[in-house]
Amino acid sequence: MQVKIDRVIPIDGPASSAWQVLSSITEVAGCMPGAEITEQLDKSNYKGQVKVKAGPATAQFKGDLEIKRLDAASRELHLVGKGADTKGSSNAVMDLTANIRETDGGGCELVGAAEVTVNGKIASLGGRLMTSVSDQVLKQFGDNFATKVLALGEGAEAEAAATKLEEQPKEVNGLAFLWAMVVDFFKRLFGGKTGTTP
Amino acid sequence: MSTTADQIERTDKLQGMGCSRKRKEDPRFIQGKGNYVDDIKMPGMLHLDAVRSPYAHARIKSINKERALALPGVHAVLTAEDLKPLNLHWMPTLAGDMQAVLADEKVHFQMQEVAVVVAEDRYIAADAVDMVEVEYEELPVLVDAHKAMDSDAPVLREDLAGKDEGAHGKRLHHNHIFTWDVGDKDDTDRVFDTAEVTVNEQMTYQRVHPSPLETCGCVASFDKIKGTLTVYITSQAPHVVRTVVSMLSGIAESKIRVISPDIGGGFGNKVGIYPGYVASIVASIVLGRPVKWVEDRIENLSTTAFARDYHMTGELAADPDGKIKALRVNVIADHGAFDACADPTKFPAGLFSIVTGSYDIPTAYARVDGVYTNKAPGGVAYRCSFRVTEAVYLVERMIDVLAQKLDLDKAEIRFRNFIQKSQFPYQSALGWEYDSGDYDTALKKVLEAVDYEGLRREQAEKRARGELMGIGICTFTEIVGAGPTRNCDILGIGMFDSAEIRVHPTGSAMARMGTITQGQGHQTTYAQIIASELGLPSEDIQIEEGDTDTAPYGLGTYGSRSTPVGGAATANAARKIRAKAQKIAAHLLEVSEDDLEWDVDQFRVKGSPDQAKTMKEIAFAAYNNLPEGVEPGLEAVDYYDPPNFTYPFGAYLCVLDIDKGTGETSVRRFYALDDCGTRINPMIIEGQIHGGLTEGFAVAMGQQLVFDEGGNILGNTLMDYFVPTAVETPVWETDYTVTPSPHHPIGAKGVAESPHVGSIPCFTNAMVDAFSHLGVTHMNMPHSAYNVWKQIRASGIDKS
Repeated sequence: MQVKIDRVIPIDGPASSAWQVLSSITEVAGCMPGAEITEQLDKSNYKGQVKVKAGPATAQFKGDLEIKRLDAASRELHLVGKGADTKGSSNAVMDLTANIRETDGGGCELVGAAEVTVNGKIASLGGRLMTSVSDQVLKQFGDNFATKVLALGEGAEAEAAATKLEEQPKEVNGLAFLWAMVVDFFKRLFGGKTGTTP
Repeated sequence: MSTTADQIERTDKLQGMGCSRKRKEDPRFIQGKGNYVDDIKMPGMLHLDAVRSPYAHARIKSINKERALALPGVHAVLTAEDLKPLNLHWMPTLAGDMQAVLADEKVHFQMQEVAVVVAEDRYIAADAVDMVEVEYEELPVLVDAHKAMDSDAPVLREDLAGKDEGAHGKRLHHNHIFTWDVGDKDDTDRVFDTAEVTVNEQMTYQRVHPSPLETCGCVASFDKIKGTLTVYITSQAPHVVRTVVSMLSGIAESKIRVISPDIGGGFGNKVGIYPGYVASIVASIVLGRPVKWVEDRIENLSTTAFARDYHMTGELAADPDGKIKALRVNVIADHGAFDACADPTKFPAGLFSIVTGSYDIPTAYARVDGVYTNKAPGGVAYRCSFRVTEAVYLVERMIDVLAQKLDLDKAEIRFRNFIQKSQFPYQSALGWEYDSGDYDTALKKVLEAVDYEGLRREQAEKRARGELMGIGICTFTEIVGAGPTRNCDILGIGMFDSAEIRVHPTGSAMARMGTITQGQGHQTTYAQIIASELGLPSEDIQIEEGDTDTAPYGLGTYGSRSTPVGGAATANAARKIRAKAQKIAAHLLEVSEDDLEWDVDQFRVKGSPDQAKTMKEIAFAAYNNLPEGVEPGLEAVDYYDPPNFTYPFGAYLCVLDIDKGTGETSVRRFYALDDCGTRINPMIIEGQIHGGLTEGFAVAMGQQLVFDEGGNILGNTLMDYFVPTAVETPVWETDYTVTPSPHHPIGAKGVAESPHVGSIPCFTNAMVDAFSHLGVTHMNMPHSAYNVWKQIRASGIDKS
């Protein structure tokens, strides 16, 4: 099962700061809810893991990340991550391209395109939730990313952002996720402005 | 001779054939006192669970069992490597192919068994499964059966490399299993070339699953001291299991005891031999302890036998009046990764050649090509006789397509093509001899009962208002009761069946059969046959099935074969007993046998009705007062080799209304008339028909095993897989005619599968009929609200 996601995340900060975050793989992984880099193998290969908690059940994905391209001139990152849950019943591959684009008025935006392929139980049981879950993951990722960029700046806002980063949960909370999805569903249904899809 | 009041009273007391006797099985079931495989608990019993592949097609690079073996309570972790020395890592299938018991170097479908864990309890087993580390290398996946024979299609079965001969002849491609064809191709082509009218339609019969309430499982117990193996198993064919296990294990068949206890529905899902069974037996032999394996619902829907997945092209040639001249059919059959169909050995496409249906079609040709894909093996008959549902679906759809093309009424076109009553026994173009039928009468009765003309008038009015209403007709003929041993066998064993009856001195009786009930009510109905034949009350007749140590050899229950084959054996065994009883009666009454006549429950002297001996009296005499040269006892065994199949038929009509806004369908009326010949228990027949119609409704309206392009099975839980409850199920109306089978001892045919076979095309015909005025000639199942809504949009009527 394959899902394609395209997303543009507006960032309140200069493109150079955004690139500073994007070009550090540990920083990028830190934006991903529940994810962390556990080991750097060489210049472009890493090992990492993602923890997802849904009620009493915890799923842990372990895998490899490979940086295919990191281009400062075009501020573009291309990486491929492959992982399997530690019980061997599901696995996933993500091919991600992201770049930082300057916008009018000194700000910038993160333009991301990802192709996620999942196999096994997660595809069988969670297939229909894939798009919504990906939306939520990316939404949180975008928030975290923007906060990190903000924290690189100066002043009260930057400090607040840094504090926020300190306090964020270290794993994905499945139930909170589910709730966010339900809220989004109803917002879309009744034409709310903050829905995740245009 | 007229029947006297006394005879009626004595007949009623017997509760024999024709009586709606209450089911003997129900008291224990409704009190939760049934005894199913998962209820079996044995001292020292261990539990088996399987490590399954997340990939549909991958090479196994390594399996690391160490962590699992280190978990306290784990007794063994077995892989194909462990089974290899026993030559049990692969096993033969019923269809002449080989199937991996545990994945050998490669996995061929998602959820395939890669290893099994045997542990102290079910929970430890499940934990240990998570600890077995398997490293895979992904391979290209083949999901679409239509692409199986592409030149660049991935090679699925490396074990078959270089083998261009399969169990059923030449293999045309590395993913090809067999070509099976029947009929005269050249003649058929010629008729099509010159026909005035031809129609053709492509239809996909989706992959579905029988999904019985109870999943598959077993408890295997090997006694190391006695060298005997006992297997409690969810099997529709326990004797066949015993033979296969003996062949695989080398244990003498006399040392193997297979017991099918109460079974919570089979519907074809419990005919096959599954890796879980084999692994449990091996584990019990290796560990010397009883081993239980019971699959969960996800495993059941994902791995143990599916049904259908037939991709069919049907064509009819006709004259302008709608008289059919020829039928031509081509099928791509998706059998999954291993050909594990359960069909009589010589019939790789089952009895699909019944595809000419209830119609007098002079020329026909059918071809089926079986192919491998990266999906679970199977292709069983889900509540039907081997591939009959597929065949009936095709012909019942095609005749509607032809009616639409010629603008003929869908009932009228059937009357124009029916095999006439006077034509029976009827020789079909594809080689079957239909035993008996009266199709005209059946359909007329249904049309009158529902006021067909009135319905068509109503439909015309609704169409004028832009509303969607469909009327579907299905007039099907089944072929059931496999089967004559001259052409039907499984692994070389002829498909006869058997009954053994012992009448005790006090006039009660014990009977055992080679069949096995799974909800059909054999304990009730077989006793009724014996009651009528022997004049003993059915209440005093015990029926026992499913224990190979006590029951005579039989091929089991599937394909509606119990009544046509086992029921015939039962009647014949009873008749052997009655013949002996007549000798004893003659001796007791001091008359010649010829002077006696049978009268309900006794032999009486012709012309002197007061001189009589009841069967009860005769039974006692059989143990103490016998004529010269007659051995004591009153029992008989019969092995019945049917001279022909039986051909039950029916006429069904469905009326449905469709909500144009949502695509929701409401089945307003479903009228089912069945003719199964002699009716043994009308109440059980009605119950079976209700069940079959409900399962037919499930298939037509919602059931489907869906796969994505990566071979991930989507919808393998009951959250997605549609099992209708009382909420969704329509109200059924039933009716019947009686056209006995001329070759069956009691004239009975078989009924439990007819409603499944007949209702599915009836629903589709009704659905297509609702859209027929818009030029729609076919809609693939399932007719879920979403699919119907898509058709509404495609037809451009969603805004009107």
